Amino acid sequence: MKRFASLLALAMIALTANAKDQLHLYNWNNYIAPETVKRFEEQCKCEVVQTYYSDNEELLAKLAAGAKGYDVLVPTSNAVQALIKGGQLKPIDKSQLPNLKNIDPAYLNTAFDPDNKYSVPYAMSLTVIGYNDQKIKELGLPTDTWAVVFDPKYVEKIKGRVTVLDSSSELFAAALKYLGYSANDVDEAHWKQAVDLIKKAKPYWAAFNASSYIKELTVGNIWLVHGYSNDIFQANLDAQAAGRPFHILHGLPKEGAVLAVDNMVIHKDAPRPDLAHKFMNFMLEGRNSAELTNLIGSGNPNKEAIKYIKPEILKNPAIFPDKTMMLKLEQLKELTSAQRRLRNRMWTEIKAGR
Amino acid sequence: MRRRSPALWAAALAGYAFLYIPLVIVVVYSFNDSRLNAEWVGFTFDWYRKLFHNEEMLSAAGNSLLIALVASAVSTALGTMAGVAMYRYRAKLLAVLVLTPIAIPEILMGVSLLIFFVMLNLRLGLASVALAHIAFCIGFVAIVVRARLAGMDESLTEAARDCGATPWQAFRYVTLPLIMPGVIAGALMAFTLSIDDFVITFFTAGAGTVTLPLQIYSMIKIAVTPEVNAVSTLLMLLTLALIVVATRLTPSLFRN
Amino acid sequence: MAARSDGRLGKWLVIGPPLAYLLVFFAAPALIMVLASFRTPGEFGGLSPLIENGNIDLNLDSYVRFFTDSIYAQIFLKSVWYALLTTLFCLLLAYPLATLIAKSGKKHRDLLLLLVILPFWSNFLIRVYAWMIILGPNATLARMVNGVLAWVGHEPVPLLFSSFAVLICLVYVHLPFMVLPLYANLEKHDQALLDAAQDLGANAWQRFWRITFPLSLPGVYAGAALVFIPALGIFAIPDILGGPEDSLIGNVIKQQFLETRDWPFGSVLSIVLTVAALAIAGFAAWIARGRLGTPSSAREARA
Repeated sequence: MKRFASLLALAMIALTANAKDQLHLYNWNNYIAPETVKRFEEQCKCEVVQTYYSDNEELLAKLAAGAKGYDVLVPTSNAVQALIKGGQLKPIDKSQLPNLKNIDPAYLNTAFDPDNKYSVPYAMSLTVIGYNDQKIKELGLPTDTWAVVFDPKYVEKIKGRVTVLDSSSELFAAALKYLGYSANDVDEAHWKQAVDLIKKAKPYWAAFNASSYIKELTVGNIWLVHGYSNDIFQANLDAQAAGRPFHILHGLPKEGAVLAVDNMVIHKDAPRPDLAHKFMNFMLEGRNSAELTNLIGSGNPNKEAIKYIKPEILKNPAIFPDKTMMLKLEQLKELTSAQRRLRNRMWTEIKAGR
Repeated sequence: MRRRSPALWAAALAGYAFLYIPLVIVVVYSFNDSRLNAEWVGFTFDWYRKLFHNEEMLSAAGNSLLIALVASAVSTALGTMAGVAMYRYRAKLLAVLVLTPIAIPEILMGVSLLIFFVMLNLRLGLASVALAHIAFCIGFVAIVVRARLAGMDESLTEAARDCGATPWQAFRYVTLPLIMPGVIAGALMAFTLSIDDFVITFFTAGAGTVTLPLQIYSMIKIAVTPEVNAVSTLLMLLTLALIVVATRLTPSLFRN
Repeated sequence: MAARSDGRLGKWLVIGPPLAYLLVFFAAPALIMVLASFRTPGEFGGLSPLIENGNIDLNLDSYVRFFTDSIYAQIFLKSVWYALLTTLFCLLLAYPLATLIAKSGKKHRDLLLLLVILPFWSNFLIRVYAWMIILGPNATLARMVNGVLAWVGHEPVPLLFSSFAVLICLVYVHLPFMVLPLYANLEKHDQALLDAAQDLGANAWQRFWRITFPLSLPGVYAGAALVFIPALGIFAIPDILGGPEDSLIGNVIKQQFLETRDWPFGSVLSIVLTVAALAIAGFAAWIARGRLGTPSSAREARA
């Protein structure tokens, strides 16, 4: 017992003795290229300490319970909204971000953060359809509409081979769009219609899955998914690398889809806001921003990054949507706590099979 | 010579097979030439090579091992005490306090510990994680030790005391050897729980504290690559080696 | 009967440290969340301030919601059922394993024990992924099962993304927590008792059912508690390989914290779960003690 106590003490001392300049980045895993991090570390003569979360809600729960020590966070827009309203963010000093001008103005000055007081766009993705081109062509199913996920006459042909995201906000958004409403519609009657639509299609779905669906799609166990564009992009790369006879392609629904923009923000208790600004300015450089897009196929709001991005990625309309598609895309907005409760009650009903 | 029925052997072997078929897949797939853990493509050592250059993953594994060793040691000690107390003195409040962390959903415990640590202004880091792990591991050890004690003959201990032994000596030389299999079983469970814990660790870890489960779970939505299989395989082998060394160095501890 | 002067001190030296630790690092945080169950959720997450405009904001809303909406009870009962099945299958699988280990010679016993727990030092996620590979639609097992079903004229059933997958994984993940307590108990069984019974004419089944099993009940109970109680609150397994209707109460609780941000309701669900789990465990223990008249209780009565 004594031995362990001294071992623990030694470990504690070793860990707290690290006095180097550190930037604490709390980010999604694989959401920044390793080369980019190295280059930044050389430039700022500091160390980037990364910790990861895999869901916005994990980030929000941890911060709401009072965790601190993080400098830069990378939440999605609706989470940024929640963080701003919850007073969790430090306003950014635009004078330290000369590269902010590189961002396409279409992504600036949003409803959740007017005048970009707190956030700076980082990367984006669309929530679309991903499919196995061989199987879907064989069955003659459409891929440009949400009907292939919700309409029993289509879904029954791929029974047990379809997954949808295990996220009430994403699935409701897709259902609402299919029904012709806005993804951010909060009318209870419209929500009930969405619930009925989902319940009718559910018997044909294999699972509600946000974690292992992509690998099942890649190996051919699942033929169609409701998923994120960069995951689907990666799935195709993996399928080609494994020599599979099919491609994984994006299906852009004509009814519209959800656009998720991830942003860099600074936590209110950030230990090193100076390093945080340096990092944000660095990531706003075209070349650095492009490295992520080239790595994972994420969308990019940075005009200067375009010339560094691989052409095949630029051509992909699910990653760089054209103007007509842009009009049909919506970013998700935060719900009030009463609305969240109602939504969760409906979601529980769907998942309990009632 | 013990007569052990073939039926027993068959059933036990079926049990081991059930335990090991997934593990064989885990180890074999650490050599899989595919980013995904889904289908066999080809053989490669790449993932082990990548692992040795992956400082993050290696330090996360190291953190996990360190926390697990500390947490299992302390919780075994406290849990054994609790198990003995529950059996010998029928400590009811202790029994409730020991059992409830096992029942309480991890998310609730994680969030509440985080709020509590923040209230105390405790710096989050490896220590906060270890403290949290000990809290839920104590129960597992206590329950096993108590089950082991059930039906144990107290007259032996009393005889020792009558012969002039102090309470500590009676415990160390009479009770402890008798409950040792229970203590070891409890320690093994505590170690296993700690090394693989995600939810509570997620909430109580500090900025910059990464354990192996935290690292791996954050990959869940992208791809849990065979690097994870590789680090798991190595960690298992390392832990096995550590235990074998420990038993060689302290045979008295494991003697019944 | 130890009526020694150091009796009280000895008692508190043993009870004290674990009690103190748990009071500080478990009871105190738990009380925070028990209090939270009476509070209002924050508009954007977390909790609303406790004291608003000089009034303490405590209410029973979340409790009322739980008790007036039957869907939560329904999901809860489903979870109890899954946990019971898991416990039963774990017991069936673990008993032979634990018996074999307990009866082995000193040389092999430690190794066999370690072999049981070794797989669980690998990461949980990749073990579950391994099961996804085993149960995948193109893997041997699924093909065999569906081949038989096709021969009988039945539609193919998915092994993956189903209750079957969830159960198998639940049993797998909890198995060592049944084996270890059982082993710790079986190890101390006196072979001489069984030999004597055999000499008196008892066959293998009678020896097991009349002697071994009753003596092993404390171990069975400990293992069952260490499997049933955690299995009740699990959420990761249904998330990863469950079907569309395999949501359990653990998933609902997780959603309260990580989707709806309704911490008070999450607390209520958690408290109900905890109380129910402890109650079921306590009830089972009471039945076990009452029905058995085990040697241990006879000895306790003497002391």
